[in-house]
Amino acid sequence: MDGTESQDELYQKVAQEYGEALARMVWAYEADPELRRDLSQEIHLALWRSLAKFNGRCSLRTWIYRVAHNVATSHIVRQARGKSVGTFLTLEEAEAQAGLEDVEHSADRAQALSRLFALIQQLDLLDRQVIMAYLEGLDAESIAEITGLSAANVWSKIHRIKTLLVRRFHRGVRNAV
Amino acid sequence: MPCDELPDDLMLPWKEAGMNGQVFSPNQLRAEAEKMRAKMRRLYLVVSVGFSTAVASYAIIIFSFHYFHNPLMLIGSSLSLVGFGYLVIDALVKRARALPDLGETDGLRFYRTELERKRDWMRGIGWRLPIVGVAMFLVDLGLIQLLLKTSGFLAGISLSWGVFVLGLCAVWVPVRNSRMARKYQERIDALDSPMRSAGRTDPKG
Repeated sequence: MDGTESQDELYQKVAQEYGEALARMVWAYEADPELRRDLSQEIHLALWRSLAKFNGRCSLRTWIYRVAHNVATSHIVRQARGKSVGTFLTLEEAEAQAGLEDVEHSADRAQALSRLFALIQQLDLLDRQVIMAYLEGLDAESIAEITGLSAANVWSKIHRIKTLLVRRFHRGVRNAV
Repeated sequence: MPCDELPDDLMLPWKEAGMNGQVFSPNQLRAEAEKMRAKMRRLYLVVSVGFSTAVASYAIIIFSFHYFHNPLMLIGSSLSLVGFGYLVIDALVKRARALPDLGETDGLRFYRTELERKRDWMRGIGWRLPIVGVAMFLVDLGLIQLLLKTSGFLAGISLSWGVFVLGLCAVWVPVRNSRMARKYQERIDALDSPMRSAGRTDPKG
């Protein structure tokens, strides 16, 4: 089997196994449907390219999440063009805003879900990476390996972001009932 | 705390989202990669033609000095050539700089590198563009001197254009860019504390 063949096979395996997780990640990074399609394509293209260089120094899962998050980071920083990079909320700002925010009405669970995506989209990129990896079921050590944060820092971030999101998410769902 | 009482309740709607992601075959991705390369080649061609046209125009002014005999135009066009040349070399050097490897680089380091790249771009344009702006304004002043002998109206239009270019290149862009560069720097500074807590003394390493 030559290099191209194994790269293609590995990509197909990865796309099958992680396709849904990558799609959720794209939704949580990009609100605009047109840009979402572009980002999805960018991520898959980068993954396919990078798999040729995969050397097994970290797990395949870590490699995939790193590539996907890094491509998304580039995409968001590029789209921001200096304007909204200053408007991503730090955790402190998001927590302060959650206390002041008016209760909004969500029509159904689908809307509540899109609200969850919208809430994640407001966070700074690193916080997004942490919470998305957590929601995908990764443990703190794996998240630390992907993000480069310490495991203790990951735990603290997960706790704070989760508290924030649960509070705001449930507010939306309760109103939907 | 709500998150301790309901540990998995955010995971459920997240997993329920059941997104059907786009599916790509390796051949589609290969074709897409080729399309992107072609797009980049076209972009470089357009930019190169643009720069070449500007450089050629200012070079013509220098060579026709004996015809115009205007020192302001000579100084301005020489400075413009230097300014444009500097911008081209700078762009080529930046292009040659290696980007961090996507799979090898963790999110924190990659985010920092991206922010640094944007900050440096903003700062770079912020102080390089005024050189070109001032140079183009000098050429314009020389042209106004010549036009004043024939048409005051055309000289007025030329002056307005020159002031606009000077304001854009030497005032508006640098002020706007340095403000943006500051924003990026604030973000970078905010990233340094998680880096230190992750045990990294060198933010780049």
